[in-house]
Amino acid sequence: MSMPKNSVAIIGDNRLAHDLAGLCRDKGIEAALLPQLSNLAPATPLVVETCAGGQDRKQSLLQMLDDFLSHDSVILTSCLGYGTTHLASWASRPERVVGFATFYPLKDRKLIELAAGLRGAESAMSAAEQFFQSLGKETVRVKDSAGLTFPRIVSLIVNEAARSLEEGVAAAEEIDVALRLGVNYPQGPLRWGDQIGLDEILAVLEGLSRETGDDRYRPAPLLKKLVAAGFLGETTGRGFYTYQESQERP
Amino acid sequence: MANKTEKLGVIGAGTMGAGIAQVAAQAGFETLLYDIKQEFIDTGLGRIGSFLKGSRERGKISAEEEKQILDRLPSTTRLEDFAGTALVIEAAPERLDLKRDIFKQLDAICGPETLLATNTSSFSVTAIAASAQRPERVLGLHFFNPPPLMALVEVIQGDRTTDATMERATALMRAIGKTPARAKDTPGFIVNRIARPFYNESLRILGDGGAAVETIDRIMKEAGNFRMGPFELMDLIGNDINFAATESLYHSFFEDSRLRPSPIQQRMVMGGNLGRKTGRGFYVYAKK
Repeated sequence: MSMPKNSVAIIGDNRLAHDLAGLCRDKGIEAALLPQLSNLAPATPLVVETCAGGQDRKQSLLQMLDDFLSHDSVILTSCLGYGTTHLASWASRPERVVGFATFYPLKDRKLIELAAGLRGAESAMSAAEQFFQSLGKETVRVKDSAGLTFPRIVSLIVNEAARSLEEGVAAAEEIDVALRLGVNYPQGPLRWGDQIGLDEILAVLEGLSRETGDDRYRPAPLLKKLVAAGFLGETTGRGFYTYQESQERP
Repeated sequence: MANKTEKLGVIGAGTMGAGIAQVAAQAGFETLLYDIKQEFIDTGLGRIGSFLKGSRERGKISAEEEKQILDRLPSTTRLEDFAGTALVIEAAPERLDLKRDIFKQLDAICGPETLLATNTSSFSVTAIAASAQRPERVLGLHFFNPPPLMALVEVIQGDRTTDATMERATALMRAIGKTPARAKDTPGFIVNRIARPFYNESLRILGDGGAAVETIDRIMKEAGNFRMGPFELMDLIGNDINFAATESLYHSFFEDSRLRPSPIQQRMVMGGNLGRKTGRGFYVYAKK
């Protein structure tokens, strides 16, 4: 399946946005990567909005997109911190909003999860599926919630690892080697959290706390502290670990 | 540094005990295998024998190596024979009273030079060590099943375990070819605790109607790069074992909601749908 030219705009300046733009380029899909909305063409059929959390920013972004875009444009929005129904409620046309949840880097993701909101239209969901499939990804539809499945489960694992680290159960390296060798995890949870971005992990946990009111999702104090300090992981040179520039992954 | 002329000991010739003894003997340590009855020892040695036979048939070890490994596995039904060993690893059934009794006896039999380790996964090392006069040489060595194939050993420091004990035990684990991860004596140590959400949150999503069993497994493998999906893995481990581990951890943390077990899994256990071993769990398996 191929997408027509100039069919996609990717909004955001995070690694996931850059990753998506790179993948579009590799697949011959002409996608505009826009850190802000200023250069967005109103008739763009599909806009991918990648901002993870922060209600003020996310809400104003979605409202602006909804106001600015043609009525039949589809808005694909990252639903890490809020479920799709909640995100779509900020748009005057909630039927065109589709949620997706994944983590950087996309080369490690063979499959992308999508969720429609309660007011979502099938046509918007099909357009979203077609977009990810044109990038060579499988898609699966799941029920709308903050963080969907993979980001939700991994965020809880990272949170429990952060809690263990904070309680002095073991050193970071020992925690990571234990999970890689004891249960064959693809990465140690602390290293993985640093790669994903601790702000994204925190967004999922706070989203689930907000959505369910269940105490089980409360974020580890250490995680909140690291994010507050701007220690988000690889991108900032420090998270659970400290990174030399030369060790930083691209 | 560990010296391969040191003698090691293992208590319990079940799956874990026999596996640990095999690992030590394969690494070149003479390892005394204990159980309360000769027939249990024979079963354990039989299991080691067939594993080694398989290794020989696949060309991984020679017939001579196979014989040497088995020669390094003397056995006994007397705890007194552990006197003079460098390290004894207890892998008896998971009953606190039984373990405490074993450590009380070992503590009296073995001199202060012998390290005493428990392979417990559900009890506090500190609680087991309390039955010994010298708890400073008591620690946890938590192996993963099956020990010959799993590289990790959690080396657990009880409240009174000395740093010197931890260092010696860590060196010995490296000498038998394992990768040690040191941790404090806390519920679930590292792995059983941090891996909990992989099972528990999957069950929660299933219970909430978020996605089906097959879908969640597929997502965790294809989006998350996990080797197995959570439900496939629970069926492999056994839902009874997995549920008991979650329940034990939940109570150890005094009912913290983040470790709350799932009613779905409890119902499966009560219904006898334990996974692969009963032919039915989250999936149905063909009868063997």
